[in-house]
Amino acid sequence: MSTKTPTSFEEMDCAFPSSLAEALDLMADESTRGRPLAGGTDLMVQWESGVVNRPERSISVKGLPELMGISEAGDELVIGSGVTHMQLRSSDLVQKHVPSLAEAATTVGGFQIQTMGTVGGSVANASPAGDLAPSLLITEGRVVVANREREREIPVTEFWQGYRKIDLQPDELIIRFHLPKKSAESREYWRKLGPRRAQAISKVMGSCRGQVLDGQIQSFRVAIGSVAATCVRLTGIEEWLLNRPLNESTLAEVEKRVTEEVQPIDDIRSTADYRRWVTGRMVRGFLENWLEPA
Amino acid sequence: MTVQERGAYRVIGQGIPRLDAADKVSGKAEYADDFHVPDTWYGAVVRAPVACGKLKSLSRDPAFDWSQVAVVTPEDIPGNNIVDMMGRDMPFIAHDEIQYLGEPLALVAAPSLHVAKQAAAHFKVDVEERPALLTLQEMVAVYKEDPAKLHKLSGQTIRKGDAASALKDADIVLEREYTAGHQEQLYIEPQGMVAIPERDGTMFIHGSMQCPYYINPELCETLDIPPEKLRVKQSAVGGAFGGKEEFPTLIAGYCALLALKTKRPIKMIYDRNQDILYSTKRHPSWSHYRVGVMKDGTIRAIECDFVLDGGAYTTLSPVVMYRGILHAAMGYRCENVSIDGHVYRTNTFPNGAFRGFGAPQALWAWESLIDELAAACGMTPDAFRLKNCLHEGDVTPTGGLLRDSVGSPEVLEKTLERCQFAEKWQQCSRGKSGERLWYGIGLSFFAHGSGFTGDGEARMKSKVALDLETRADGTPIVNVRVSSTEMGQGTGTILPQVAADALGIDVTHVDYPMPDTFKVPDSGPTVASRTAMVVGSTIYSAGQKMKADLESFVSETLFDGQPTELVENQFRAEYDNRSIPFVEGAAAYLASHGPFRVYDQFKLPDYVKWDQENFVGDAYPAYAWGCNVAEVEVDTLTCEFRVTKVTAFFDIGRILNPVLAMGQVQGGLIQALGYAMMEKLAIKAGKYDADRMQTYVIPTSVDGPEMDLHFVEYPWDHCQPGAKGVGEAPMDGLAPAIANALEAASGVRLRDLPLTPERLFEELSRSQRLTA
Amino acid sequence: MKIKRTWIINGEKLEAEVPPMRRFLDVLREDLQLKGTKEGCGEGECGACTVIVNGETVLSCLLAAGQVPDGATVTTVEGLEKTLGGKVLQAAYIEKGAAQCGFCIPGMIVSSYALLSRNPTTDAAQIREAHAGNICRCTGYDKIVEAIQSAAEQWPVEAKG
Repeated sequence: MSTKTPTSFEEMDCAFPSSLAEALDLMADESTRGRPLAGGTDLMVQWESGVVNRPERSISVKGLPELMGISEAGDELVIGSGVTHMQLRSSDLVQKHVPSLAEAATTVGGFQIQTMGTVGGSVANASPAGDLAPSLLITEGRVVVANREREREIPVTEFWQGYRKIDLQPDELIIRFHLPKKSAESREYWRKLGPRRAQAISKVMGSCRGQVLDGQIQSFRVAIGSVAATCVRLTGIEEWLLNRPLNESTLAEVEKRVTEEVQPIDDIRSTADYRRWVTGRMVRGFLENWLEPA
Repeated sequence: MTVQERGAYRVIGQGIPRLDAADKVSGKAEYADDFHVPDTWYGAVVRAPVACGKLKSLSRDPAFDWSQVAVVTPEDIPGNNIVDMMGRDMPFIAHDEIQYLGEPLALVAAPSLHVAKQAAAHFKVDVEERPALLTLQEMVAVYKEDPAKLHKLSGQTIRKGDAASALKDADIVLEREYTAGHQEQLYIEPQGMVAIPERDGTMFIHGSMQCPYYINPELCETLDIPPEKLRVKQSAVGGAFGGKEEFPTLIAGYCALLALKTKRPIKMIYDRNQDILYSTKRHPSWSHYRVGVMKDGTIRAIECDFVLDGGAYTTLSPVVMYRGILHAAMGYRCENVSIDGHVYRTNTFPNGAFRGFGAPQALWAWESLIDELAAACGMTPDAFRLKNCLHEGDVTPTGGLLRDSVGSPEVLEKTLERCQFAEKWQQCSRGKSGERLWYGIGLSFFAHGSGFTGDGEARMKSKVALDLETRADGTPIVNVRVSSTEMGQGTGTILPQVAADALGIDVTHVDYPMPDTFKVPDSGPTVASRTAMVVGSTIYSAGQKMKADLESFVSETLFDGQPTELVENQFRAEYDNRSIPFVEGAAAYLASHGPFRVYDQFKLPDYVKWDQENFVGDAYPAYAWGCNVAEVEVDTLTCEFRVTKVTAFFDIGRILNPVLAMGQVQGGLIQALGYAMMEKLAIKAGKYDADRMQTYVIPTSVDGPEMDLHFVEYPWDHCQPGAKGVGEAPMDGLAPAIANALEAASGVRLRDLPLTPERLFEELSRSQRLTA
Repeated sequence: MKIKRTWIINGEKLEAEVPPMRRFLDVLREDLQLKGTKEGCGEGECGACTVIVNGETVLSCLLAAGQVPDGATVTTVEGLEKTLGGKVLQAAYIEKGAAQCGFCIPGMIVSSYALLSRNPTTDAAQIREAHAGNICRCTGYDKIVEAIQSAAEQWPVEAKG
């Protein structure tokens, strides 16, 4: 590829492969490789605003049949990277087995963004405010990526390596997600705090999956977005909570400990102080849900 | 909706659909970016890279291909390099001193927008940067230390009685400070203009604007052309809210200067990022009060400093401040008032007009303080307001007499009753620990001065015309000829309704062509909630004149001199009951005399007296009155809060079209909700941080509360039909009502706008009220 | 660098040869002179550029022309009056005073048409959610919701799908 940076959409090239194999072929060779483009809801904005340089070429993976579909495989849900937020929120399987993910999808943009944007695109964009990230993290599932030669599986917990940095080689595409279902006894919750009630980028948001039996916490996973360079699992509080009784003194301690576990920053959407406090409150709020009937 | 007797009006008061609605729902309405003008080039602005400094040199990058680019620098300006607004301190293109980041240094045009933008990015700018004063907070800090260290753009005082001594006699004196930040108008159609140089030397400006007669004459001096060679025509306007009041003169000027240079049509449509960065905002404000009250709730004395952050140049800031100080102690009886208004320069884009025009900032502080005063006297907010509110016959802080059409106290009483305020006030949480949801209810009550401030209307002498003409299909039509623009608020429908009513015909025989300065007299700018009242009443009297002339024509030529009346679309002869349809009589008139124009001019009643120097007298000929009640719910888990319900009554005088009027109230309240709770701009490295719609958030369809909205009708008695304006009042009172409700819910008072969970969290932490 | 596409736009078959990454909004407005669709922000936030592609609302400012598949059915505001449902919606918007400045309306009413075509609901919460991606600065939304509810009540059987 030459080094010339296009200055307009009209100067950019794009390939439209009709199959995954064709797309991976294009990605395999440096001379045909391009920036994978799915729903465009992040990239088109970043290119137009100049936040990200326009690539000379893109590869449109939108609608590739191999990247579509939501199915069950034993204890897991398999979700294609090309599945849209609208498909995600409307899926009975997702609503049943990873309900927080379905709920998170309803809070991404407006309907138009939901019909355009995809799971793979959101994950690749790797924003710490990516709404789907917490629910993917708490499943402890896997991301399947591929190049022309092979597939490669990466734990979701290791996929985001830093601020807008992902474990993906230049010749690879994100293919699908394997997400362990929640057990029948466990529950999931999702909450997003934003500057308004729809079409908002979060100040703080998060998901949890857990199980409480006879007032005792059997398992608890929680992931929070917009409080660090990537969406983060709060492993400190997860471990501390195991086998604790779910009562007011535990909840009070949770708030305090979570506040110490996160190091958010001040930015355009919120303040570090508020984010730190409210993250603790949010985790408390998640746990309080178990005090109510499901 | 509560509407009093509508009198004998037939078309006025009907909720007819907007005349432009069909075009707007089918995509046919033509906005500035929709014009196709052959051979158009596109303009762009070369902008200053610092917020304050001295321009040392400006040069072009020799590596760039300049062959298809036209450049305008100050040397190319035919007239004076000055924008002829108040203060006359703003250059069109900066040539020496730079006063805000992005101030124009040169203009470029090219056959495509893409090339124009590229060219603008290929200038080398050498500047000597100086320290900039950027924020209200920095400005107020300097003000408190020594106001003389600031660059003053404007100042004005109001003095009534002796506030200083009266404060000493008061039982309780409260001293409080409140601030409000910038607000962006965020009309959905960005700023856009086209300038077309015509063969006869006329410069034709066509685009998105509120005030065609600002651009002409404001550009004449710059372009060095006489007013008769500057034609300004309005396109469909996709929202304005004040944002297209004074700003369009700038973009029109950029286009016109480039059009003179290239001898081609020039188009400029701002993208959203440029629009937010380089157009006017609502002025940030700081209000400092010392108010003395007696234990029984009597307001003894009001002292107020009202300080606005003007941005880099004067523009309209003095008048915004005037309206601010005129509302800063309004609404209640008080014999001793001392208000000092100031506007100081900061190094941001000049702040400007925005719906409410200083009143929302003033009322934000004043109506918050009223609740604090009530509490200090041990009174409830409703009782304190009922005790002190102005009635007919009372005088305003400038000594103006409220002669007639005073919707106070009715709007207050009705709102309180409608929402069961007294009962709900008892149920407020007041920060009670152990509750997951806190409930609060809050109130605001206010007047909004109708029309221009002070002597504005007397000097303006709004002129209107009605043209009886022949349509393309051969039928007669009455065209409303005014410079008052349709920008979504309904001018293009209500004025035809008024004309039709005055004439005795249906509105189908009246039209509102887009204002064009070659065809319309100057009815003034479309601002200050003045169109329905001032221009509407002048149209009404023009309609009556035209009616009389047509009646006498028909009487003489068709009805043998019998007295003839035009009623319900029919010319009727009094004696033999003959009648002919309006169109027939009008067609006969047109056949015999040709097109017929009737002029009229607004005249303030003689009793309106105003001393502009000392701010004494009738600051406004009439007032709209409003009362807003907000109910809020705070989630104590997160400090998030939402307004669950708004109850409001407004007295806007005669209601010309109830559907459109209600649309103004609903939309204004939601804009006020955004101002109160979500819209904010911080300044980072000289730039607004929220410079896109992703970061500058305004309410969506799911953010609004349940709204229970009503009118009471106290028409302005001076002239028919007696509207008092509805555009701005809905913007005035919601922010303080929400802050008052939040205090009732949480027990803490927020004194800075916007009200956010972060701010509530800080205050609750400080007062140690955060509980599980 | 151009691609060829054939689309059915507002019921008419149109062939286009355009740069693949050109924004679909520019193709509609500039190349096809369908100026009803508006640009309010250029970054997918305001919804004024909303059009329907194969039954789903999309933001044409974020959509590369090449990503609109060959043979796709496209509905813009100009196409509404050719449909029964579109006419009902237009009449309801007019009657209820749902348009003020009108700049958001081409995108707004297209979102309404897509919603009611799928689900002629009068449920205010559903209507509000389906229009949260269409920003209006004038109306406060209440009259828009009223108009959509009124259109849903009269929604023609032929347009249900």
